[in-house]
Amino acid sequence: MRLLPSRRSDVVGFVVLAVLLAVFPLMAPLSWVNVGVYALIYAIAAIGLTLLMGLAGQVSLGQASFFAIGAYTQGILVTRYGWSGIPSAVVAVLLASLAAFVLGLALLRLRGHYLALGTLGLGIIITVFATESDFTGGTSGIFGIPKPEFNGRTYDEPAEFFWLLIPVVVVALLVARNIVTSRVGRALGAVNDSEVAAETLGVDTFRLRLQVFTLSAAYAGLAGVFFAHWLAVVNPNAANFPLSVKFLLISVLGGLGTVWGAVVGGFLVEFLDEGMKTLIPQLIPGATGEVQLLGFGIVLVLVIILLPGGLHQAWLTLSGALGGRGRPAAEPPPRPAADGAPSPPGAATGPTDESPLFVRDGRPEPGSTLLEVRGLTKRFGGVVAVDDVDLDVRAGEILALIGPNGAGKTTCFNMVSGVLTPTSGSVTLDGHRIEGKKPHVFARSRATRTFQNLQGFGSATVLGNVMVGRHLRSRSGMLRGALLAPARREERQIAQAALDTVELVGLRDEAAVPAADLPFGRQRLMEVARALALEPDLLLLDEPMAGLSADERRALAQLLRRLRAGGMAIVLVEHDVEAVLALADRVAVLDDGRLIALGSPDEIRADPAVIAAYLGVDEHDTEAEDAVRQMSGESGGGRA
Amino acid sequence: MLSIEQLHAGYRRLEVLHGVTLSVGAGDAADGAAGGELVAVIGANGAGKTTLLRTVSGLLRASAGQVLLDGTAISRLPAEKVAAAGLAHVPENRLVFPTLSVADNLRLGAWTRRRGGSRHRATSQDQVLELFPRLRDRLDQAAGTLSGGEQQMLAIGRGIMARPKVLVLDEPSVGLAPMVVTEIMQALARLRAEGLTILLIEQNARAAFKVADRVYLMDRGRVLLEGTPTELLDDVRVQHAYLGGGYTAATG
Amino acid sequence: MTDFLQLAFSGLTVGAVYALVAVGFVAIFTVSEVINLAQGEFAALSGLVAISAVASGLPLVAALALAVVSVGIVAVLMERLTIAPVKRMTTLTSIILTLGVSTALKALMLLVWGPNSRGLTPFPGQDFTVLGVSIRAQELWILGITAVVAVALIWFYERTGWGKALKACAEQPTAARLVGISLARASMLSFLIAGVTGAVAGVAASPIYFSSWEAGLAMGLKGFVAAALGGLVSIRGALLGGLSLGVLESLVAGYVDTGLRDAVAFVVLIILLVVRPGGVFGRHAEARV
Repeated sequence: MRLLPSRRSDVVGFVVLAVLLAVFPLMAPLSWVNVGVYALIYAIAAIGLTLLMGLAGQVSLGQASFFAIGAYTQGILVTRYGWSGIPSAVVAVLLASLAAFVLGLALLRLRGHYLALGTLGLGIIITVFATESDFTGGTSGIFGIPKPEFNGRTYDEPAEFFWLLIPVVVVALLVARNIVTSRVGRALGAVNDSEVAAETLGVDTFRLRLQVFTLSAAYAGLAGVFFAHWLAVVNPNAANFPLSVKFLLISVLGGLGTVWGAVVGGFLVEFLDEGMKTLIPQLIPGATGEVQLLGFGIVLVLVIILLPGGLHQAWLTLSGALGGRGRPAAEPPPRPAADGAPSPPGAATGPTDESPLFVRDGRPEPGSTLLEVRGLTKRFGGVVAVDDVDLDVRAGEILALIGPNGAGKTTCFNMVSGVLTPTSGSVTLDGHRIEGKKPHVFARSRATRTFQNLQGFGSATVLGNVMVGRHLRSRSGMLRGALLAPARREERQIAQAALDTVELVGLRDEAAVPAADLPFGRQRLMEVARALALEPDLLLLDEPMAGLSADERRALAQLLRRLRAGGMAIVLVEHDVEAVLALADRVAVLDDGRLIALGSPDEIRADPAVIAAYLGVDEHDTEAEDAVRQMSGESGGGRA
Repeated sequence: MLSIEQLHAGYRRLEVLHGVTLSVGAGDAADGAAGGELVAVIGANGAGKTTLLRTVSGLLRASAGQVLLDGTAISRLPAEKVAAAGLAHVPENRLVFPTLSVADNLRLGAWTRRRGGSRHRATSQDQVLELFPRLRDRLDQAAGTLSGGEQQMLAIGRGIMARPKVLVLDEPSVGLAPMVVTEIMQALARLRAEGLTILLIEQNARAAFKVADRVYLMDRGRVLLEGTPTELLDDVRVQHAYLGGGYTAATG
Repeated sequence: MTDFLQLAFSGLTVGAVYALVAVGFVAIFTVSEVINLAQGEFAALSGLVAISAVASGLPLVAALALAVVSVGIVAVLMERLTIAPVKRMTTLTSIILTLGVSTALKALMLLVWGPNSRGLTPFPGQDFTVLGVSIRAQELWILGITAVVAVALIWFYERTGWGKALKACAEQPTAARLVGISLARASMLSFLIAGVTGAVAGVAASPIYFSSWEAGLAMGLKGFVAAALGGLVSIRGALLGGLSLGVLESLVAGYVDTGLRDAVAFVVLIILLVVRPGGVFGRHAEARV
């Protein structure tokens, strides 16, 4: 069973690509090679855009702006200040990245529309500025940029320049692919599936998106550098809208699921461009200007409607149909049947093992207050969902939070974990006020949660999901991820730790299964494992028992007891009242947003107000009161 | 009036309903003229109650089985067509239109009858206000500013405005104080007495038992029991289904 | 003072055009959360259609009607052919999709009308001067038409059944379906509104600001900024946003540097989103229950 994505097929892919590219100038006619040079240059910019769209889920409609910043910087530094190519390229790429960083700082906290329109605006500004300013040479631009020279060799023929570009493209692809498979890539992939779940595992969405956007601009800047040298001229057209559309089309056509697509897309779009420019004026006499845009627009629309995954998707479908590699054919998910095929949590350690789990140095002293909630209130318009709740959670206890549907339990969890901002009140975790802060802040203080309605990362495997849980227990940033080698050892450690956690909840056999294919109850266990992978001191579980079989429930309860023994504090929202009363040290009861009782399970069992709230009666109904009395007697174990 | 036969449905590859059969207002048309029926479906969280309603009203596509409304098959229709066919669904969490006024919310409730003239609408609105007098003072207020109980009343009122053949409600008691729950249940009982056919999904079994003519108990996507409230009140299986798998183990 | 009044007045006129484009963004966004990047092209297209219609001998009024109707049809077709078929619309796909349509429309206009920009015959009336401010008849037409459209839209959204139904779809799509409102029809209607308002902006602006195949790009961006000033969900906010953006642009161009005119919208967008992401003129959308 393969748990981690194989690297071997990628290595083969890189070799094949390099060879194909290397022989292209030998086989193709000169005019094609010329087109090929542009295809490779644009592909570099498009790889960056693919990263931005595929990983950060954001789109730039002004990729040409960063391209232009790179090209202009290179042109100016080389022609006007006499810099040599490589140092000026470094500055050019840095400047393009800086522009993106500043813009992203402003726009990336918001929904994708704003970055799209913001980058579109940047394109317009740069075009205007370049046209108006003498520094950039006005409409005629910067010219006389020499062809690059290394070791006395001048790369001035299309084939030569093409060969020069090949190593650049291959390295650009390698870096992009490494990032996609790195810790950062995994975290961002998780964000695209469920931002809220990724955040509660400690992923700082904004920060990672900003990094990817900055990197994507660096790619565009680098492409601009080569463009400047090849064309020898940079004018305001380098920033213009049609070029940004072209980059977008290359990415989308190639497919956002893979960085490879950009190279294939680059060739196709360049040939489409050339074809349209020749064909349209023949069909429609007198047509001039950017008529190729017609093809760009139509292809964009068609790809999104008919082939949203681009050529990458077509490739997967094709190779799947040929019975080759690719994803295994869809098969019905295994059911948690009575025959007991899937193993329940903790199966590996035997049903009676009560040894502590996740013991670690530096845990808060058992019994000390870990979480302090004061006056917590949430209003939605006229509805008070949570009303002035005070609650303490101590290290090493299991606290159950129960109450009828709609009592405000999940809303409480949401406010404590930073998913919702409270209307008023405070949340203090480990001495820090965290109310209103984003969930990754909650996770930083070694606290995390699961969700009532599943928030699995559907595009990852079970193991992949749990590996995201290790996000805060590992460190490799984008740079190390890109360079691959230093990050690899850490990757193996992450995978091993995640696998241990997967085993703990009894999902070892399903570790390589796509999360979306798991049955409901197994996905819940996976989310518990994912939360445990963070090694939290405080764990909030929102209905972890729902959808579990009786065996699985029993095993999960045992697992929770072992975690408590290891010093973890657990807050449990659960509908299975008996299971909760058997497990919890203390029980808090919410009704209609208010905390109506807090005490030991026995105290709660005996509290008539609790039972009234739970089964829903009104206090003026004697018949119902009788029923309550009857019920409470039964709950206490009265019926023989 | 509403009959559900062997209904299967779910989300993506996860089947939630495994062949649910039940009927509301079961008597034939002549018999039905005597008055409506209020049928409650109860069950714990995850029993499939909401999925059942969502499938009946066309928000979810049934994978097998059928739903007949007054003899017409509606199980292949999208939600807006089901509404037009005469089934009003009062959704979970009320879902009032928050920035629109109470009056506008009610008015939109009569959307399927919008060509019927404003007089009919005014009559219906008067009926709603008579049923829930609290809404009268708030007609011009934005619905989002109402309390939870008032929003629930508005959501039910919006359902009645359509003059449906069948009114289906998804847990109207959720998150409400017991007094308000009583008020709402009394309103449902009154609508039923006036001849409306009602299907009520409830987790709050006590509240449902007090007003229902018949009760179905659902558990894990199937109907477990059917009977009158008095028959089911003492049935240990009801408590079992509610208090969870550990209950019998703990007491038995 | 006269300078200021002159700049403010001409800014108001440009702003009125932005406002008309902006309400189209709001109309569509509130129903389907799609930012329609072809909104500016609606305006450009209607201007060009009207110019051709006049050139072919049609009376001005008929040409205007033809332009508005045909762009309305284009907008509805766009919704049916490109928006409706997409099953899972994300922010990303909606941007790429509408960008594709916008690009194709640009190219079509380029093919049909060529690269040069041109202006529609001005609407009838005399230019005049008051308080030293010279006022063109066309500018009054723009302001008047914008006022009429604004009143009509507010009336539609706040007084008519379909207007409220559109709001209902925006706020609680599930509940809207449950009362019987067809989301498909609501989406078509929202595109129709966007097409018509965009087209009106295009024909009203054309005599002064000219129409060309690429005029829609800047127009769309500025309309978006205006709509964002209103939080993207408020018609009134978008109208106010458009007018203020126009005035601000005009003042910056007059007092600082003409070349900076087109930068204003962008800078406003960035500042706005850093300071008040919920918009300036719209109510900040409270989290929904």
